[in-house]
Amino acid sequence: MSVEILEHPVVIRARRIVVTLVLLVLLGLVMRPVEAPAWQVVKEGQAELNLDELEGALGQGLVVGVLGGFRTIMADFLWIRMNTIWQRRDRVKLDAMIRLVTTLDPRPEFFWINSSRMVAYDVPNWRIQEEGGYDAVSDARQMELNVEQAEQAFHLLDRAREFHPDNPKLVLETGQIYLNRLKDYSNAADWFLKASEMPNAPYYAARIHAQLLRQQGKDREAYAFLKQLYLDLPDDPYAQKGTVMERIRNLEDELKVPYLMRFQANPLAPGVIPQPSAFQIE
Amino acid sequence: MSSAVESFNRIRLIAGNTFLEAVRQKFFNSLLLISIALLASSTFFQQFDFGTSELKFITDFGFGALFFFGSILSITATTQLFFNEIENRTALTMLAKPIYKLEFLAGKFLGAHLLMLCFTVVISVVLAGMLFWRETELMAHLGDEFTGGRLIRYGDVFLFGFLQWMKFGILAAITLFVASFSNTNLYTIVVSFFMLIICQLQYIARDAYSSLEVGIGSWLVQVLGLVFPNFQLFNVGEQLVFGVKSGLSVVTTLQITGYGLVYTVAFILLAQLNFGRREI
Repeated sequence: MSVEILEHPVVIRARRIVVTLVLLVLLGLVMRPVEAPAWQVVKEGQAELNLDELEGALGQGLVVGVLGGFRTIMADFLWIRMNTIWQRRDRVKLDAMIRLVTTLDPRPEFFWINSSRMVAYDVPNWRIQEEGGYDAVSDARQMELNVEQAEQAFHLLDRAREFHPDNPKLVLETGQIYLNRLKDYSNAADWFLKASEMPNAPYYAARIHAQLLRQQGKDREAYAFLKQLYLDLPDDPYAQKGTVMERIRNLEDELKVPYLMRFQANPLAPGVIPQPSAFQIE
Repeated sequence: MSSAVESFNRIRLIAGNTFLEAVRQKFFNSLLLISIALLASSTFFQQFDFGTSELKFITDFGFGALFFFGSILSITATTQLFFNEIENRTALTMLAKPIYKLEFLAGKFLGAHLLMLCFTVVISVVLAGMLFWRETELMAHLGDEFTGGRLIRYGDVFLFGFLQWMKFGILAAITLFVASFSNTNLYTIVVSFFMLIICQLQYIARDAYSSLEVGIGSWLVQVLGLVFPNFQLFNVGEQLVFGVKSGLSVVTTLQITGYGLVYTVAFILLAQLNFGRREI
């Protein structure tokens, strides 16, 4: 009886499947020491795929896109499609598409920066319009919507910085949202400062930080910052040292800094101490 | 010793005939032409690109075409070449002679693999040609950007092609394995494509579950990672072509090649386990 059961076609087939699986598992174990170090090297060079982000996408035929070098072109076409969604002001789909595009190809900073701008600047407008327009919606509610959307944009930019840790444009973008949308000068100043300290940061980041300090009434801090900035800047026309010096002089006037105490660009060079004008002496 | 040489000759003959039969197939020629046309049109598709450089875009596009069409070709050509012999009853005539079933399988595999070599070489040459043409034009227009000479390491295009060819080898062997117990063309193609998707994406599941506590889910994913080869290991396009030096060391290249070879042989032997018992 037991022999008959063992000879049953289903049992034979099941036995073959088990044997095949066991052999493959053993092979997998044997090959692990070869695979693991190579996989470590290969994985480091690949853009990370986040399973959570892809969950909703697999039904959209994106398996093909995930499968190879076509990820780039797939993300590009989805971005174009996303712009149609943006034109239709469909914010739910817009959010899903942003996650999809940036997951498929997180390399172009273009996707991250423009997505965060849509989320932080456009969506709050749509939501305010939906609730009756700027005249009907109270300032408090408008600010609430702005903060809500800005937080989503910050989250997006945080993710972007995981892929581009040395890109100052992404840090600046956070600062811009604080400045332009939330009018939060204190946080904006911090982010502009952070951006200005990064390699390849644009020169204007530091100048805007100083201006934001002044906006908060921190003129003394701005003055000290600009003096140090002037010394640190290279002699490059794009660095606009003249503009920085102009702002230093402006602050010195406002802070009524005594002439002999005023900033000297090069203390060793003769004749650089600013001389008071006849009008000022009077 | 002489029996080994005879066995080798038999495999060579079967492989040669399989290859000739495959090259004459319309499917192979059409797919090759489509791939070349798509590659040649990559400069057109570049209009839709946001952010990546032109040369990087063409490279990605070419690697994508090689992987995508190569996978389709590897599965369908292997299936067709195997089932043609069964359906036309030529396998019966062949196996009536002193030819072992393993020799038959090895011959079929090598024929299909040679076909994939042709495909890979043609696509790699076209891609390298496209890149060379565009890089030369860009150098003429933007000489200042190329002070260090050419940006592209053309050898890497062929290295990527070689590693993809190794992957196509595993895929062809998996297809033969599925065909060894399957009765129809369609079933073999569908199951092989599912296997391809699992092999390609298993690393995501492995990564996602690696942080979980030990449980049934984690245990199952571990087994899944052991049963199916990791095809993402061959996806080295990001490390290659651009940069001062190649992103892949010789050791890593050898490890990936060895991994591919072992799995290819293993799946052919597993196919033999089933095919050996099969009534034709």
